[in-house]
Amino acid sequence: MKTTNKKAQMKIQQMSFMIVAVFLFLSMVGMVVLTLKLSETRSDATKLQEQNAMLLASKIANSPEFSCENAYYGESDCIDLDKVLILKNNIAKYTWKGSNFWGVTNIEIRKIYPATTPYHEIECTYTNYPNCNYIKLINSPDATGIGKSNYVALCRKERYNGETVDKCEMGEIILSYKTYT
Amino acid sequence: MKNKKGAIEFSFAWIFAIIAGMFILFLAIYGVIKFIHLQKTEIDAETAKGIGVLTNPFEAGFESSTRDRITLPTLTRIYLDCDNGSIFGRQIISTSEKLSNRWSEEDGRLTEVSFQNRYIFGKNPVEGKSFYMFSKPFEMPFKVGDLIYLTSTEDKYCFIDPPKSIEDELEDIIYTGEEETSPYENFFIVDRRTECPSESTTICFSGNCDVYISTTLQRNYVQKGSRRVYYEGDALMYAAIFSDYEYYECQLDRLMNRTEQLFEVYNGKSKFVFYQSGCDSGLDFEFSEMLALIKGFQDSRDIYPIYDLSDIIELKNKQGECRLW
Repeated sequence: MKTTNKKAQMKIQQMSFMIVAVFLFLSMVGMVVLTLKLSETRSDATKLQEQNAMLLASKIANSPEFSCENAYYGESDCIDLDKVLILKNNIAKYTWKGSNFWGVTNIEIRKIYPATTPYHEIECTYTNYPNCNYIKLINSPDATGIGKSNYVALCRKERYNGETVDKCEMGEIILSYKTYT
Repeated sequence: MKNKKGAIEFSFAWIFAIIAGMFILFLAIYGVIKFIHLQKTEIDAETAKGIGVLTNPFEAGFESSTRDRITLPTLTRIYLDCDNGSIFGRQIISTSEKLSNRWSEEDGRLTEVSFQNRYIFGKNPVEGKSFYMFSKPFEMPFKVGDLIYLTSTEDKYCFIDPPKSIEDELEDIIYTGEEETSPYENFFIVDRRTECPSESTTICFSGNCDVYISTTLQRNYVQKGSRRVYYEGDALMYAAIFSDYEYYECQLDRLMNRTEQLFEVYNGKSKFVFYQSGCDSGLDFEFSEMLALIKGFQDSRDIYPIYDLSDIIELKNKQGECRLW
């Protein structure tokens, strides 16, 4: 009688330890699944952000803060460089609580052609404009890598032979967006 | 289990097994609930962000009255909120999905996604599986932003005898583009109120209906019940039709703030191009006047003088020797 009781107790103990072991195993599997699921969520967020940045690169040239509208007759995908230079000086207003108006981490406009000879990287300011080749509008310290660019026309007003003329050159707009790591 | 005296006796192993079992069951149930909650929150956040991304092409504004249709996998409520607490304010979008006959918002807080450069107008919440979106540029006089109008296919809007220009535009929205074979099912244009489908929101330009639109030479307004909001231009008229009073005023305030910033940029540009190239826009006085008007903007009642001055500025810019936009 006593032996049977001991055997039963042993079996119950074995079962308890088995339950604990199975539970630990299942928790570990659960944690792996959860980690995979979370990384999937992050990749989905990054994918959405990437999609957003691709569309943003093509549309930003047409947004009111950048677009030429009808100031330079007949140009499409055109950035008004005179306007952007003024915008650069007001850019602090376009940032609020660490995020900026366009939701990107970096906006840069570069002149591609004609290139300055000899080629130097010259950032545009009021004093050297238009003899410069890039304007950095937003340069967030947490800009992580992935950038999208789009070719645009960069137009400005210029004095030529005593007359005001519209001058357009070839450039690109480069955007970066935050990745979820 | 029973001892000699008849009392129930548990060995350590039994007690351990019961406690461990209860603990395991509790953790398993808790884990499953948490996981389901996480899934729902993830779906909501993704849908809200997705709606924001889907509005991107509208913001590009290559053409007037761009339109599109979004279909979501489940019945969804889209909550639109407006925050004008900063210079450009925020468009807040949150969604709640109906999963297993239960709205995800019932399980806790809604996940918000916000955008500083979006202006979406619609009922709050907009509920359905399929949604129509169209957009119109808001100009004052240069383009300030694209206003996006969001309606559910389940919400019917009936326009009674609208003016020709609005009728043409509505027909354009209803019948053109990829929807040619299956027109927008929720917009109707009729001659008399009795022709409107039942349970539709009636919109009229004379007489009595749910939304009355007054189009006069000055101070146009949209009346809904006892509340009245003022508008100028078609873009704001649609905004007033599809949204409620507080939301419209908040979004208009955000738009006015963006208009002010753009006027400051154009004011700076006007002075800069004059200095650089001798090109004189002749708009410096109007710009100062406009900036003063916008700084004093309180609510939609102040829109008319701003719109009026913007007309003068537009004409001067078009005819001037130095076009700024």
